[in-house]
Amino acid sequence: MELFALEHKRLWRTTRVWLCVVLCFLYSVVWGSLMWYQWLGFGSQNDSTDMYDNNFDGYTAIRDWQEQFSRFGDEWTDETLQKIVAEYQGYDIYEKPGLQSKGDWMVAYKCLKLYPELEDPEGQQYQPLILYADTTKLTDFYQRRADLLEFTLEATRQNEGMTEADKQMLLDMNSQIKEPWPYEWTQGWADLTFDWPELAPYIAIVLGFLFSGEWHNSTAPMLHTTKYGWKKLARVKVLSGLAFALELYALIAGGKVLLQLIYLGTSGWDLPIQYVNLMAVAPWNMLQAELYELAFGLIGVFGYAGLVMLMSALVKNNVLALVFSLAFVYVPDILGRYLPKWLLAVSQYLPLVGSSSDIYGYNVFHIFGKGIWSPWMLITVPGLIGIVCIPFAIRSWARRERV
Amino acid sequence: MELTIDRLTKHYGSKIAVDRVSATLTPGVYGLLGANGAGKTTLMRMLCAILEPTSGEVRLDGKDVVGMGPAYRDVLGYLPQDFGYYPTYTAAEFLAYVAALKGIPREQAKKRVKELLGMLELTAVADKKIKTFSGGMKQRVGIAQAMLNNPQILILDEPTSGLDPKERIRLRNLLSEYAGDKIVILSTHIVSDVEAIADVVFVMNKGQFLVHGTVQELAEQVRGKVWELTVPREQARLWQEDFTVANYRHEGDNVVLRIISDEKPSDGAVPCEPILDDAYLYYFGAKEA
Repeated sequence: MELFALEHKRLWRTTRVWLCVVLCFLYSVVWGSLMWYQWLGFGSQNDSTDMYDNNFDGYTAIRDWQEQFSRFGDEWTDETLQKIVAEYQGYDIYEKPGLQSKGDWMVAYKCLKLYPELEDPEGQQYQPLILYADTTKLTDFYQRRADLLEFTLEATRQNEGMTEADKQMLLDMNSQIKEPWPYEWTQGWADLTFDWPELAPYIAIVLGFLFSGEWHNSTAPMLHTTKYGWKKLARVKVLSGLAFALELYALIAGGKVLLQLIYLGTSGWDLPIQYVNLMAVAPWNMLQAELYELAFGLIGVFGYAGLVMLMSALVKNNVLALVFSLAFVYVPDILGRYLPKWLLAVSQYLPLVGSSSDIYGYNVFHIFGKGIWSPWMLITVPGLIGIVCIPFAIRSWARRERV
Repeated sequence: MELTIDRLTKHYGSKIAVDRVSATLTPGVYGLLGANGAGKTTLMRMLCAILEPTSGEVRLDGKDVVGMGPAYRDVLGYLPQDFGYYPTYTAAEFLAYVAALKGIPREQAKKRVKELLGMLELTAVADKKIKTFSGGMKQRVGIAQAMLNNPQILILDEPTSGLDPKERIRLRNLLSEYAGDKIVILSTHIVSDVEAIADVVFVMNKGQFLVHGTVQELAEQVRGKVWELTVPREQARLWQEDFTVANYRHEGDNVVLRIISDEKPSDGAVPCEPILDDAYLYYFGAKEA
């Protein structure tokens, strides 16, 4: 335990680590969240085309939106949709350009996809449907959604090889969504972002040097001759690496959640995720989706930490360890278009590569004949990769016991 | 306690670094003397069980040290030739870290670190980062880490490199005092270091022990082969070309040469009292050494 404490302290002693943590915090929490809430994402708009022209008043603006949309009631019904669309049509968008963005007009936009027959068949209307839709015809919302979902899944079954059982499994999930949906201003939850891959470079820079750095410091002969030798040190290093990953994650996730609580408050946690993606089948509310997102991030960060530590243990060169570690995250992204489809799909299961947005999708995997919804795979496989990497990291480091 | 080196050999491809070296070491101070590339560091690494020998083995009280693993490392202290440290650590933190790696309980380690910092005159800089230290100070930190666990076998590879004369003398005294019932092995190419403290000196060349014995025994081996000769200054160079000259001293217009030679180099040469330097030069020759 004492060795772990000292090793962990040593890891935090370098300027490189502090620089990484501070930069990561500034970029993810201060820029990515604080500035997003207060300025770029929710600040009131003077010009709808340029978010940098927003006012620095996100906190007040969010309160305004929450207040404004409370008048549409607390359930999503045909009437709610009709009222929102009618009200939108009553605004002069040239006079109040900001109305286009963070109001729940976005939800209305999405819902109007269920009413394609209302679109101008002649294409004479050079404006979105929300501006001219006949609100009296916005009826049967839930039935229309169910029909479109059935149609979409059937098309996926026929064209993309989904099995009948998969389709039924997804429809069963969908049937668990309670109707009518609760309603209040949704856009805040819909715009929540946890971009976990942005942690990858910082983790790689810190943990990529964890083992390979010992060669750089020429400490190997001395460490080898200590009682505990490299094997125990390797275990301690892995533990301190995982502790660092957890600390970085906690700092970023904690910062983001705290800002979310400050800016959005807790209301709306029980809204269904269908407000984010109308055709999602998961019977989840926003809180459940966020918990999934947080778990996805935590497991991804742990998995990636394991992968980076393995790279660091395998090579003696700091730069190579860093390059290999970063390659796992960025090569699938950069070479995506050149990779075979199956390889690209597999790469999504690497830690911090895939996206938690699969919770809105229909991907189903089959393992031992059992259909598994892809978000469960996405939350399992990266963690397993990390778990597999760790003993290999310890082993490959310890086998260099003789120098 | 007995450390046995049994026909220890190390090949790097076709190059033989250590060639069937054997010795039995009991408590005392052992000096390993040899030119650069003689195989001293390779031998020491094998003694520390961090380098696998091509053949042969090292045994502590009859047990193979490689097989002993942590039990051997528990009684071992090692200062590598290129001592690596963590630049951002202070001396005290670094020693505490190594103490933890050596499995020394925290309170005991604290006490020992304090003691060693005092012994090596590092107390005043204990809380300064090692990266700010001079070469000699870093070397003293390295020696301190090797001695943390009060090892029964202390192996120091070039411990005096980077130390100023005062520090070297202090280290010699420290090691002499420390040795007692322990085995201390130090390698160097500075003859005076081993001459001052080593009970037994091994002279190593081309991976083999060329000769070994106490300082007196080695010096005695060249008795009658060390001469002093006074020659005119202009002739000195000619004598240096033909003989191994251990020393060269000006005396007025003449030069006094200390010559190592089996035969009396000249009628004017007078025999003198041999020292370890002479023996070293005798076995290596001035050019090789």
